[in-house]
Amino acid sequence: MEFLLFVLLLAVAGVAAGLVGSLTGLGGAVVVIPVLAVAFGVPFPIAAGAGLITVLATSTTTGAAYVRDRLSDLRIGMFLEIVTVPGALVGATVTVFLVRHSLDNALLIALGAILLLVLAVTAWGARAKNRPSREPDRVSRALGLSGSYFDEVHRREIPYSMARTDGALGVAFAAGLVSGMFGIGGGVFKVHALEWFGGLPMKVSTATSNLMIGITAAAGSGVLLAAGYINPYIAAPAAAGTALGAFLGSSLLPRLRNRTVRWIFLPVIGALAIEVILRGLGVA
Amino acid sequence: MTETEARAAAPPGDRLPPAVHAWIALILRIGLLVALALFVGGLGVYLALHPSATFEGIRASNPLPALLAASALASGLARGEPAAYLTVGVLVLVATPAARVAAGFVYFRRAGERSLAAITLTVLVLVVVGLVVVGPLVR
Repeated sequence: MEFLLFVLLLAVAGVAAGLVGSLTGLGGAVVVIPVLAVAFGVPFPIAAGAGLITVLATSTTTGAAYVRDRLSDLRIGMFLEIVTVPGALVGATVTVFLVRHSLDNALLIALGAILLLVLAVTAWGARAKNRPSREPDRVSRALGLSGSYFDEVHRREIPYSMARTDGALGVAFAAGLVSGMFGIGGGVFKVHALEWFGGLPMKVSTATSNLMIGITAAAGSGVLLAAGYINPYIAAPAAAGTALGAFLGSSLLPRLRNRTVRWIFLPVIGALAIEVILRGLGVA
Repeated sequence: MTETEARAAAPPGDRLPPAVHAWIALILRIGLLVALALFVGGLGVYLALHPSATFEGIRASNPLPALLAASALASGLARGEPAAYLTVGVLVLVATPAARVAAGFVYFRRAGERSLAAITLTVLVLVVVGLVVVGPLVR
């Protein structure tokens, strides 16, 4: 295949990934990594490396808007990053270790399983009602992990306080581990860590998680970069396309019905996950 | 001003001054635009110089490990090698969230919020450790 054709196809896939990622809150890497591994036969660690670079592009694109609109809680995000970053370092190191021991296929199967888990958590999250806000715990009070945001729908300021910091820290570490290991953002886990354990509103959780996945991906990328698992000729078109898709998605989102979008795209990601598992099993 | 007084004096939202949000949004936007410019330019120049390049050739050889030494990257940039510019684009994208955390550290330190200053500094150190210590160890 000509490299020009590959660049164009991957850029188009990246735009679609950015759109899907920003509209569903899953991040673009859940599409880019399966496409690279299954459609183009890119080795798993190189696909995961490109995935982390697309996560950085998505997080930076949408993060700038969320921070400007004061929807991201920088204080809570930076607090949880103290566990997502080591999680990503451990995850990326485990991936390098497994690849060096020729366990790429096991990683592909595990990635497919993680993608199916992501879908299950997303579908469950769509049905679940918001948890009522709870009292902040000792750590939350000591660090001032509380605030408010202006809700456009209810036209009023909504106050919030971070509740169970221990549970949120645990899930955030696991999200960092998954991100570093498989190259995905792990945003869906961070959102639920903030929403279910932290007791934060959905919008603040999503915007804050979006910011956190950037520094988490940066930590994982550092390890994969030094290990030689990021190919700039593959990562660059994926990241450029994803950034454009994320920009378009964040512009379209207010005009689309979130629930409809979610149920259109989730089966696509489910099919990709099954393809990845079959590739890992040597069937596809 | 004590840590508690500093937090109480901050405005609503996440109780950080609007200027902090504006600076962080600007850092993210500049990092993204610089990285995208390097990606698009690097790919464009590579395709112009190697119109018959194949994907299989790209997949089989990764130029990045050879460019990780600062001297190799500098000479690659001086020679106008597209791979060097793409690598700098990747590095800029990786450094952008770290710059955002660094901006947070500067604010928390100046505001006297020692706990969050220590947390942001730890996050920064961990990212650098990943790049400088963990990465070379697994290479």
